[in-house]
Amino acid sequence: METRDSMIRVTGLKKHYKGGAIKALDGVTVDINKGDVIAVIGPSGSGKSTFLRSLNLLEEPTGGSIIFKGVDITRKKYKNAEGKTVRLNIDELRQKMGMVFQHFNLFPHMTILDNMTLAPMKVKGISKADAEKKALELLDRVGLKDRADAYPIQLSGGQKQRVAIVRALAMEPEVMLFDEPTSALDPEMVGEVLDVMKELAEEGMTMVVVTHEMGFAREVGNRLLFMADGRLLEQGDPKDLFDHPQNPRLQDFLSKVL
Amino acid sequence: MDHFIQLENFPKIAPYAELFWQGTVVTILLALFTVVIGFCLALILALMRMSNIRPLRFLGIDSDGHMRESGFLAVVSRFNPLDFIATAYVEILRSTPVLVQVFIIYYGVFSMLELPSFQLFGFIRFERFLPGVVALGMNSGAYLCEIIRSGIQSIDSGQTEAARSLGLSQGQNLRYIILPQAIKNILPAIANEFVVIIKESAITYTIGVQDIMSAVNAVRGATFIIIEPLLVATAIYFCLCFPTSKVIAYVERRMSRGDKR
Repeated sequence: METRDSMIRVTGLKKHYKGGAIKALDGVTVDINKGDVIAVIGPSGSGKSTFLRSLNLLEEPTGGSIIFKGVDITRKKYKNAEGKTVRLNIDELRQKMGMVFQHFNLFPHMTILDNMTLAPMKVKGISKADAEKKALELLDRVGLKDRADAYPIQLSGGQKQRVAIVRALAMEPEVMLFDEPTSALDPEMVGEVLDVMKELAEEGMTMVVVTHEMGFAREVGNRLLFMADGRLLEQGDPKDLFDHPQNPRLQDFLSKVL
Repeated sequence: MDHFIQLENFPKIAPYAELFWQGTVVTILLALFTVVIGFCLALILALMRMSNIRPLRFLGIDSDGHMRESGFLAVVSRFNPLDFIATAYVEILRSTPVLVQVFIIYYGVFSMLELPSFQLFGFIRFERFLPGVVALGMNSGAYLCEIIRSGIQSIDSGQTEAARSLGLSQGQNLRYIILPQAIKNILPAIANEFVVIIKESAITYTIGVQDIMSAVNAVRGATFIIIEPLLVATAIYFCLCFPTSKVIAYVERRMSRGDKR
């Protein structure tokens, strides 16, 4: 495997509830490099989503570390370059990680354009004109420029998810996290969303995708993670793992989904 | 044979119509001021209850920099004084009779204050009206607090997750995403609270506020007629509350239709 710049280094990540009685994540260690397209698969309840949501701290891990851009983001405070102890700015961190949700989570009281310009304007302080120009460019890329003034309720599921993807891209993140982006879609709309994601991967975006789309995991991903019971059981080249699964749990899982 | 209602009694109470008219104005003003005070109080209480200010937070971080999962220190570190005060206030006011609260405010708090004694509009006795408004406002603040809080919490948590994952702060999320959506859920409930207060305000006649009930009492004292003035009061209360709640229900339906754009 070629060496790449490390983007996120996850070590021994744990998420325990009720004092350790429930272990949603039980020591996950994985390196995410720049340009990686990582597909995360596994049976439901395996901790895939918890893992993804921990990466931008929507879930607070209870152990282990996540090094993002040289800083352990699981700690509330860290030492900066000058050796000073500073408080972790979670909002700044999240700007650099775009997230796409299963249920789109567009803001229903705003038009598509407002959905896309809100964060760039309020968080990054970009002017309205610049934010709108950028938003329209992005919408054009996913073929939805003419729906800029529509409200989310007027769009189909596939259109909503495409908007959600470009809404996250408008913040110019360094890594995109996808939490089962096609699971809430009607079958005929899955393709249009996967196409956008595939394009994004080809442009070199670093992506972590929790998915049930095995075809996408196999063809687009350059690495595959298989999780079960809060643990990372296998990782490697997707085609290898699909064609020659070693772990019995993975063999069992693939026999059910393929 | 005595009838329940004696029609000949109505002409006897007719000279007191002015009292009922004034009582109606007092009741409406009482309810309006109460809702305004109650809403402001409730918004503050709701934000206190949802605040995330934990002065002892540092106790919950272990030497490694992680949050403690369990144990005494983890519990102590989650203590939020604003939430505690607001919750205590809401629970105490909701768990005690409003009559007791009105008496405590009037005989307890306001007996220590020297209020100017003048008449609003020439017939509203300010030194009775103000304690009534304050007591009812404090009471409805406790109820509206829960309405506002549940209105905010009814917004899907995915909205907050999306906003925060885009980098919006907690305050920006509340201002741009949550409150604009929550207001729609809250407004009809606040209008309903207005109707509730119109009815509940009858209790303030016990501290001498000259509302509709006090008009009933005055007529009874002067004429020894009781049923007929009570029926007049019933009619007035009904005419105030029934159309108002129908209008609210209509507006509420219209607003929810807007959601299905």
